[in-house]
Amino acid sequence: MHYIVLDRLSRQSSYLHGLDARCKIAALILFLVAVATTLPLGAGAVVGYAFLLAAGVLLARLPPAWMLTRSAAVLPFTMAFATMSVVTGNIQHAVTLVAKSYLSSFAVLLVVASTPLPALLDGFGRLGVPVILVTVIQFLYRYLFVITDEARRMWLAAQLRGSALSRQPRSEKVAAAAGSLAVLFARSLEKAESIHLAMTARGFSGRMPALVHPRATAGDALFLLALAALLWLVRFRLGGT
Amino acid sequence: MHIPDGFLSTPVWAAAGAVSVPGVAFFARRAGDAAGDGRIPLMGVMGAFVFAAQMINFPVGIGTSGHLVGGALLAVTLGPAAACMVMTAILAVQALLFQDGGVLALGANVFNMGIAGVVAGYLPYRYWGQTRFRRPAIFLGGFLSVFVSACLAMTQLMLSGVAMPGPVLGVSLGLFAVSAAIEGGITLAVTGALERLNSNWLRSAGKAGNSGMGAILIAAILLASVGALFASALPDGLEKLSEELGIAGRAASLFQTPLADYEASFAGQDWLRKALPGVLGLAAVYLVCVLAGRLISRRALHRS
Repeated sequence: MHYIVLDRLSRQSSYLHGLDARCKIAALILFLVAVATTLPLGAGAVVGYAFLLAAGVLLARLPPAWMLTRSAAVLPFTMAFATMSVVTGNIQHAVTLVAKSYLSSFAVLLVVASTPLPALLDGFGRLGVPVILVTVIQFLYRYLFVITDEARRMWLAAQLRGSALSRQPRSEKVAAAAGSLAVLFARSLEKAESIHLAMTARGFSGRMPALVHPRATAGDALFLLALAALLWLVRFRLGGT
Repeated sequence: MHIPDGFLSTPVWAAAGAVSVPGVAFFARRAGDAAGDGRIPLMGVMGAFVFAAQMINFPVGIGTSGHLVGGALLAVTLGPAAACMVMTAILAVQALLFQDGGVLALGANVFNMGIAGVVAGYLPYRYWGQTRFRRPAIFLGGFLSVFVSACLAMTQLMLSGVAMPGPVLGVSLGLFAVSAAIEGGITLAVTGALERLNSNWLRSAGKAGNSGMGAILIAAILLASVGALFASALPDGLEKLSEELGIAGRAASLFQTPLADYEASFAGQDWLRKALPGVLGLAAVYLVCVLAGRLISRRALHRS
């Protein structure tokens, strides 16, 4: 369960953890845009970007091996398309796809692992993402585990009743699966109803109250400026045209 | 299919973002207007439901199984605006926490699955949900929600210069159609089961009689997505045609920019030629979405 690790890592304390969420979001967008627009992506630029990410891992005191393997989650999808590029004889394009998707995935993971999700979402909200969307994402994350556990319990119960052994025709199996999804839907509705009642009773008005009020400091601005300068260096001096 | 970062060329992700941001803002306002009665927790929990629903497998045949994607089911139960919010929230959580889909590519993914997919999944139910074609309409909604988003994703990838030999494209179109049909079947089965439990959980569909409008809208969305896919494959087709007509010599200067040096010639005019049909296609689809949204909202006002 990597997201439990992610949750724990994001609550450590370090220089990167201490930065304002908006600053880290802006830094992430800058980095991703720089990577996306580096054409062609030379070896120098790859090393430059990788160096910046490594510095980020050090600044956030995150476990490097875990970061490296977790970012590789993007590779199966990339490999399918990279293989196609190799088959059509364009190895350069294949290498570019793998390098760009891996670097970008690593950068996203770096920010998510150094910012607790509520703070990150609060930052997105302050940067203009609709409040309703941010609130829905928060609810989704909170109840993800509750509803998934419910589904797992239902699956286990079905197994215990011998669902895997039964020799019923496929149409009946589909009906059973549809029925269990409908029941899961019903239980989710029930849960949403009771959450709504409890939250209304506590004065919820459609917006999650912020527990901390972040304030962007000069240090945040300095970090962003330094990063922009370094990115400029890598993007225009080491790679691209 | 969630596109990761690093795949889309700058014009494509920028254009998709430029379309998705106002689209999501529009649906957010509409979802916010209807946000009384505990709709916000409901949307969040329904997003969690769609995540969890992936654990329940539907036997398809020969050892394979499919699972719910959810765009059409959400649209039919919560309405298109709330369904767009839920799908966007799911895509955001997947991009941030599960490294499934990119952050810069989120605009494209939200456009494909959260806007175009949800609208295409809702339209058949909207127009034929109250007629004797109710069940085919629900199936068609599930089918369209997956098929349209898959075609759009493929188009964006090809516009960005991802290599896609002809046979591979044909096979993947076939696979899209199969998985879209599976989604249609699952959506139909689950809505049937939901109706048996409590028929109030499905939105009341519009009155019959405007099915011409529905057919036009669905045809427009299909044309825009499938047409854009073929348009993005067009340069090759033109090349072949010109060779057959014996004007290869002259055409060479026009079309001889194979994908091989696509990256290098990015700075030239080439990317414009490739991106323009895509941007126009996206703009057309956006227009259709806005018009559909207007229409739906007006109908909703009339009803209330």
